[in-house]
Amino acid sequence: MTQPEAPPEERRSKRARESHATSIRPGFFIKLILMALINALGVYIILAAWSQQSWIILAVTVFFVVLADIVYFTKRMLPLKYLLPGLVFLLIYQVFTVGYTGYVAFTNYGAGHNSDKADAIAANVMQNQRRVEGSPALPLVVVEQTFPGTDLGFAVLEDDMVKVGTEDQPLEEAPDAVVEGTTIVEVPGWNVLSWSDAVARSQEVTQLRVPVSDDPNAGSIGTQDARTGYAYRSVVTYDPETDTMTNSDTGMVYRANDRGQFQADDGSTLTVGWRVFVGAENFTTAFSDQRYSGPFLKVLAWNVVFAIASVLTTFFLGLFLAIVMNSERMRGRKIYRTLMLLPYAFPAFLTALLFQGMLNRDFGFVNQVLLGGMPIAWLNDPWLAKLAIIMVNLWMGFPYMFLIATGTLQAIPGDVYEAAKIDGASGWQQFRRITLPLLLIAVTPLLISSFAFNFNNFNLVYMLTGGGPRFTDTSAPIGATDLLITMVYSVSGLDGSASRNYGLASALSIVIFLIVATVSAISFRLSQKMED
Amino acid sequence: MSTPHTSEPVTADTHRQRSVGRMFADVGWRHVVGIVAVIFAAFPILYILSAALNPGGTLTGSNAMFSTVSLENFARLSDTYFWTWLGNTLIIGVITSLGTVLMGASAAYAFSRYRFAGRQFGLTFLMVLQMFPQLLAFVAIFLLLLTLGEVVPFLGLNSKIGLICVYLGGALGVNTFLMYGTFNTVPKELDEAAKIDGASHAHIYWRIILPLVMPILTVVGLLSFISTFNDFMLAKIILQSEENWTVAVGMYGWVSDQLAANWGQFAAGAIIAALPILALFLFLQRWIVSGLTQGSVK
Amino acid sequence: MRRRIGAALIATAVVTLTACGGGGGTSGDPAGDDETQAAPDGTGQTLTVWVDETRMAPTQAAADAFEEATGAKVELVQKNFEDIRADFLAQVPTGEGPDITVGAHDWLGELTQNGVVSPVEFGDKAGDFTDVALEAFTFDGQVYGVPYAVENLGLIRNVELAPDPTPETFDEMIAAGQEAGTKYPFVIQVSTEGDPYTMVPFQHSFGAPVFEQNEDGSYSSELALGGEQGEAFAQWLADHGANGDGVLNTSITYDIAREAFKNGETPYMVGGPWLIEEFDGMDLAVDPIPSAGGEPAVPFIGVQGFYVSAKSENGILATEFLVNYIGTKDIQVKMYEAGDRTPALTEAADEISSDPLAKGFADIAADAMPMPSIPEMAAVWTFWGVTEAQIINGDAEPAAAWQKMVSDIEGAIG
Repeated sequence: MTQPEAPPEERRSKRARESHATSIRPGFFIKLILMALINALGVYIILAAWSQQSWIILAVTVFFVVLADIVYFTKRMLPLKYLLPGLVFLLIYQVFTVGYTGYVAFTNYGAGHNSDKADAIAANVMQNQRRVEGSPALPLVVVEQTFPGTDLGFAVLEDDMVKVGTEDQPLEEAPDAVVEGTTIVEVPGWNVLSWSDAVARSQEVTQLRVPVSDDPNAGSIGTQDARTGYAYRSVVTYDPETDTMTNSDTGMVYRANDRGQFQADDGSTLTVGWRVFVGAENFTTAFSDQRYSGPFLKVLAWNVVFAIASVLTTFFLGLFLAIVMNSERMRGRKIYRTLMLLPYAFPAFLTALLFQGMLNRDFGFVNQVLLGGMPIAWLNDPWLAKLAIIMVNLWMGFPYMFLIATGTLQAIPGDVYEAAKIDGASGWQQFRRITLPLLLIAVTPLLISSFAFNFNNFNLVYMLTGGGPRFTDTSAPIGATDLLITMVYSVSGLDGSASRNYGLASALSIVIFLIVATVSAISFRLSQKMED
Repeated sequence: MSTPHTSEPVTADTHRQRSVGRMFADVGWRHVVGIVAVIFAAFPILYILSAALNPGGTLTGSNAMFSTVSLENFARLSDTYFWTWLGNTLIIGVITSLGTVLMGASAAYAFSRYRFAGRQFGLTFLMVLQMFPQLLAFVAIFLLLLTLGEVVPFLGLNSKIGLICVYLGGALGVNTFLMYGTFNTVPKELDEAAKIDGASHAHIYWRIILPLVMPILTVVGLLSFISTFNDFMLAKIILQSEENWTVAVGMYGWVSDQLAANWGQFAAGAIIAALPILALFLFLQRWIVSGLTQGSVK
Repeated sequence: MRRRIGAALIATAVVTLTACGGGGGTSGDPAGDDETQAAPDGTGQTLTVWVDETRMAPTQAAADAFEEATGAKVELVQKNFEDIRADFLAQVPTGEGPDITVGAHDWLGELTQNGVVSPVEFGDKAGDFTDVALEAFTFDGQVYGVPYAVENLGLIRNVELAPDPTPETFDEMIAAGQEAGTKYPFVIQVSTEGDPYTMVPFQHSFGAPVFEQNEDGSYSSELALGGEQGEAFAQWLADHGANGDGVLNTSITYDIAREAFKNGETPYMVGGPWLIEEFDGMDLAVDPIPSAGGEPAVPFIGVQGFYVSAKSENGILATEFLVNYIGTKDIQVKMYEAGDRTPALTEAADEISSDPLAKGFADIAADAMPMPSIPEMAAVWTFWGVTEAQIINGDAEPAAAWQKMVSDIEGAIG
């Protein structure tokens, strides 16, 4: 490092001098063209957002376009010129996900609280409609009033008599109507809609209810297919004035409570609720469930061990291979390198499933072929399962580290070794004193990232062992290879093992995030300090 | 352990008739390590190959490999959208990796070469942000693209551009740090000298620094390409219609239902899909294993 | 023998009933007469339907017929079966979800709890479906989906290796299997994490259903799998597990069991209709699963069908498509041909009963118990299989492990 490469520097700066005067022009034009495109796109989005009344998108677009113009057309903010493109995408796509998770963490989004209040009301009404007992299926057409209004209505054929009505006007007989077979063709004073016209107004038609008579207990006619009508009774109705739902059969009144449900005085609730803010409740329940607090430390300890072991094993194997393959006198390096990339070129979920089969105790390739038929319970024994996870991760992960080590090794100037050679340093000393320290400067942040990634390596664990083998001494579905993140997945029911609770899942993932982020941020700061 | 760069080309060329022992000490053991590593990397792949060649095969049901050999599974790929998916994947992968390299490298350059307010915070923020557990991404990304798509259809759901943009949201991620670290190993004296010569910051970046870190740019491009190639969590949320899918999404569908899993066809597809990655790597190696060293060794 | 006669009687009764229905039942059905009318026209409308790969081809057939008849477009979006439930729940509230999705009946509890599905009014057509199929899609008195197929396990027998009908008890079957001289007397998938769905017929034969049943046949949330019967079943698992005769083995996965049967290494396998295609060319029979605990070894029955989104803007077309296309004999038979699952429409089920294998599964279905769709079932699945696997592996004392499982499930249900 101390002996900078004089020749290339000289050569390059010479080229720089030569091309300096001419290179700025094309660069400037490229910048102009790009900025013109960005502004044009920005204006297009702004106009589209305006017509769609999407104010947030409009504001964000204006902000970014103005920012881009300021950054690229003024001399100040030099670093931002380089940061802005990536930052825009990062802020829009990554930060949104984080923000959304943060928002959900404070709500009760999950089973029974899946949507907003209007949806919940509609669903409760819909689920509590009953066909009037003994009422027949009636041939029906959708009609439109020609005078005085243009209200939509139904004409039905009951006992050879056509009756017609609208939402506000109960069915009345229409003796002059024309019927062919069982189909109503014409109703005087009404415009009979063809089936396709009815389909085009699907929502109006399916939501329309025409009272059979003035007696509310007789029900109202509704249809789902615009051909057949049935008399329905709404057992539960909503009153917006009082914000209550009433069950007309039992007389029970359900009030909207602050938990996002309609609740009666006796505590019973209607099936469908809606999403509401519940404050920090998800965070407190996360820590109050006794079934999980016991095994929590065990899981955390394994999680840390797994993350560290994953990084170390993959990094050192990858580095070792990179160094071995880095000899210029070795023939066929390209082929070796390419073949070593194989595990990385296959989809990760395939790997997990493949190894699950290969590690099968009685039939797997590892035991049967490699170990001569020894019945080793790779996935049934807590310790072996942990070992298996680390080994499979090594197989999947070493090509990544191999690639990175191969790439970063190139950045180490060869002259440094020349100098060391002259000083009589051995191969190992060169590695210890020169290669490793220089390499670590480049890859330390990456190792920290890798630690964090493996800390949350959900896919591998979930697909290879499912967290198993299960602890026999706990009452929660947690096993020896469970990571915090797979534990969250099952605690919050995202795997279907309990009722889904996105609020809890979000809260827990934020807690995990805070743990990993703190550890990583501290070690990252330390590594930066060492460097500076 | 030997040095990464054995720098005795002259002696190696002149003394051809060395003893076998010396030969082994020099290069032979490297081949042994290489072969062992290749076996370690490849033996599970044989399983996949065997399944691909067996028309009715399972992936894990038997150890009788290569009992049946037929290309039927490969032929059957043409009855599916496989080749369309492969085309989509290549397009998405190439654009995403180019974007990732460009945006990641320029960010890494800024962090490495400028000292500005919020630099340390920015670095830590980037480092930490990518660690966020994405358990809810499937809801959040869907909502985001749904909203965006109402205004700008080509950024919305079922759009390849939309998906690429989501991937580019991760451009300033792990890879930026890899490039940042490498940029830091490039001596600052180079910039200084160029600056004295009157070069602009853009000139230094494009013409001096980037060529020097070509190996790592290539590695980052490749890594980003591979991860795009293998992603199906995001792709399956965003790309809805079958003809827009990527290989990973489409092939996952073949085996996601255990009872109806078509492992043979899946394995055949996985092997073909791996070929572009391997070919790309083979092709890119001269950029990975060159650059600075080439200029400085001799 | 009692049970088999019962099944035969029911099968006959069903045939007789539908014969009557076919003769004079349609006159009261206005939709039926409508066919003679001007063809319905849905031009310009698009119906979005989520299907998984298995259901793609048959649904496509129904969609093609529908498109041709109405001019409406049906957009089939292929999704992984395992993703559909979560995505449907997440996307329907945004208004962006599909109009119709394929699904299983045991999702019903969750889908209605979240208000994302609409009831379907069959009118007089309801009688055309088998009772079990319609009941499976019924929640609180309303039907929420159009069932298209029922599926259940049976004992698949390799006739070449075991020409005689399967004996009625488990021990006799094992003896017969050993006589066949194959590598395994019998295979059943267990897997590392257990497979309670496949194992449940044997548990039922000990008189230990998962939940108590109400008078109307629906499940109450009261657990019934504990007690003496449950522990007897646990003991049975241990007796045949790693420390017993080894007939049950957690190393045997679905793939391994299937390959073993396919290669003629066993005469008997517990499996479902989806396996039939795999065993193409073999001489097979489907028999009732033999009893291990004295009572009939009835499997769970699962019903698959199509749900309509609560936010569909095309309710009329969706109903039309499901009731008048998916719910018709021809389409149901086509779907049967694509997946071998017994059609939910009685008429279609009868049509395929000329196939002895299909009839074998259908006969078993007549006595089978619907898989519980109440929300409490989720907690059961979580602990059930793993405990079975532990007992089979000899890692846990059977009765104690079973008791702990019951109390853990109770704890999880809360």
